[in-house]
Amino acid sequence: MKHRVRAATLAAAALALAACSTTAPTASGGGGGDDVETGNGVTADGITIGMITDLSGPFAAGAAVQVTETQAYWDQVNADGGICDRDVTVDVQDHGYDPQRAVTLYRSMAPDVIALQQVLGGPTSAAVLPLAEQDSVYVGGVGWAGSALAYENNQLPGASNAIQAANAIDYMVDELDVPEGSTVGVVYFTGDYGGDALAGAEHAAEERGLEILAQEITPATTDLSAQASALAQADVAGVVLAAAPTQLASLAGVLSSQGADVPIIGMNPTFNPSLLTTPAADALLANAYSMTSVSPYDNPDSPGVQEANELYASADPAGATGWEVPLAYVQAELLRQALEGACESGDLTPEGVVAAFRDGGEVDTEGVLPDGLDYSQVGQSPTTTVFVSKVSADAEAGLELLDQVSGPSAESFSYGG
Amino acid sequence: MSYFLEQVLNGLSYGLVLSLIAAGFAIVFTSTGVLNFAHGSVVLLGAYLVAVLHDTIGFWPAVLVGLVGAAVVGVAINALLVRNLADPNPGTAAILMLGVDIVLLTELTRRIGNQVLTLGAPWGASVVRLGDVTLPTGRVLAAAVTLVAFGALWYLFSRTDLGVGMRAAAADGPTASLMGIRLSRTAATGWALAGILAAVAGIFLTSFPAPGVAPTVALSAFAAIPAWVLGGFDSVPGAVVGGLLIGLTSALVTGYEADLEPFLGAGFGEVAPYVVMIVVLLVRPSGLLGSKEAVRV
Repeated sequence: MKHRVRAATLAAAALALAACSTTAPTASGGGGGDDVETGNGVTADGITIGMITDLSGPFAAGAAVQVTETQAYWDQVNADGGICDRDVTVDVQDHGYDPQRAVTLYRSMAPDVIALQQVLGGPTSAAVLPLAEQDSVYVGGVGWAGSALAYENNQLPGASNAIQAANAIDYMVDELDVPEGSTVGVVYFTGDYGGDALAGAEHAAEERGLEILAQEITPATTDLSAQASALAQADVAGVVLAAAPTQLASLAGVLSSQGADVPIIGMNPTFNPSLLTTPAADALLANAYSMTSVSPYDNPDSPGVQEANELYASADPAGATGWEVPLAYVQAELLRQALEGACESGDLTPEGVVAAFRDGGEVDTEGVLPDGLDYSQVGQSPTTTVFVSKVSADAEAGLELLDQVSGPSAESFSYGG
Repeated sequence: MSYFLEQVLNGLSYGLVLSLIAAGFAIVFTSTGVLNFAHGSVVLLGAYLVAVLHDTIGFWPAVLVGLVGAAVVGVAINALLVRNLADPNPGTAAILMLGVDIVLLTELTRRIGNQVLTLGAPWGASVVRLGDVTLPTGRVLAAAVTLVAFGALWYLFSRTDLGVGMRAAAADGPTASLMGIRLSRTAATGWALAGILAAVAGIFLTSFPAPGVAPTVALSAFAAIPAWVLGGFDSVPGAVVGGLLIGLTSALVTGYEADLEPFLGAGFGEVAPYVVMIVVLLVRPSGLLGSKEAVRV
């Protein structure tokens, strides 16, 4: 029996090792016969970028969509001639949503990459960002928490959580007839994401003469009956939600069952098309909105979103659609622009990439992010404009784009001010 | 007043679902001495089976498969892993269970993806109105089913040979074995019962007012841990009382957060169950109804 257990343990260990195995590290250091100065992750004919994501933890499914889209994007760039006459390789590693593993992966990866397109997750990116800042390594998508704005090497894909939440309050007052003096609920995840959204909502409520009733929850809170009852009891005129899809569906369903038909505006990651198959679908269709930094999947007017969706459809025809597709596309697009800027200025090094996006002037993403992104100011959101969508059964991936807005409270919000 | 009553009923019905999970922890602990940290994944597994099968075979047959599936996985964990441990001490088994939890949860997460799978429960999003008080039908059903389940457990443990054998095995394994009670059988029954209770809890935790099956459901089992601990590690009635206490505490603290916030701070509803647990353990170190450790004076 003991032998069997040992054999099973060995097999499990082998499996675990196989799951953790990495792509072979590329040659590091400089190179290249042209006039461009090169550094880590760049050779005469290749550029390596990194992506530290979650392929085995709680966000594995959404992360897989992003990896597929990212690979498809860079394959396309390489087919079109690459960057600075070099092919781009993406080194994808899995941190499993474990900050310690993210740090270890970063340490082993840093000498071999010029930039990190993404470090997925709040706690994981919070662990990596300070190290990457010391090494002057560009870090792209890390979510939208305001705390990431303080790092010079971080490029936030669109408006921060506080700006989204402030816009949500502005939108309620300006478009959804929430009267001055009424109370608005804010239900938020404890941590960077929810805390930042609460700060934005509180600022906007003060500007617009509203009261805030805040309810802090964790991702384990999947039944929001108690919170919804408290909100209904306070007679809230609307709710801002900085949580995840399960919380949106529960909150909308319970509020509606208690006769509180008020608008619920969710931040970036709060909507998923599969919610429309749950018993909460009617309540969501009636009351739920989404306030996002990145365009929703269904946006026929944006050439960028169309290209993102086409790339994804050809890379994985049966893949899950949703906001991860345009998000992954635009993260790659932002990094491509930074790499090309670095190439043009003759400094294709990690430092050169950071300098390129900070000094590069306004960024155009063909409608995937709002126009006029400005990354010159460290510590502030690159834009105050966000996308407003309504949950809809007719739109692809369940969100119908209504408008792009930049409300007065979002514009007057300032980090550290 | 109706608001208070609504929060109390909400808390009690949620507490009963928690007590199903807590009772599963307690039964596995008494029958095999294992701290079953894989219980959360079994809760998720039961609900997952119902979610993927209800479309093809109908809701009620899917529930049956969910219950049986969770029971079989529980029995298999015991038969293949726990019983074969070279070093049968509770610490080793607890760490083994953490490993099982990671494997099960990773696989279920991979299968569920970023979807929220609907359970297809016939009660949908309907609610029951009692005067001014509104309660989700799912919760009322959960309370009824849980009470029936605990009635059945009481009958099993006090009126059947198998149940009495399980109690004897829990009280003194070697002696029970000498009396002709097959410990492997009582252990398997314990794991199967825990699996069934977990699946029932999983179904109610993922139907309205919760939206459906998502990987975070496995975390809900953690909410039952304070209920299990404060009830006493080895007591099923303790688990019921613990679950009710925790459910009630979370609902009331969350429901009155606006009034409590000035002196307790935001988000106290998430912490309150653990505070209650610590207070109870300070007063009664073996939990409310747990058996006391023999201490040599």
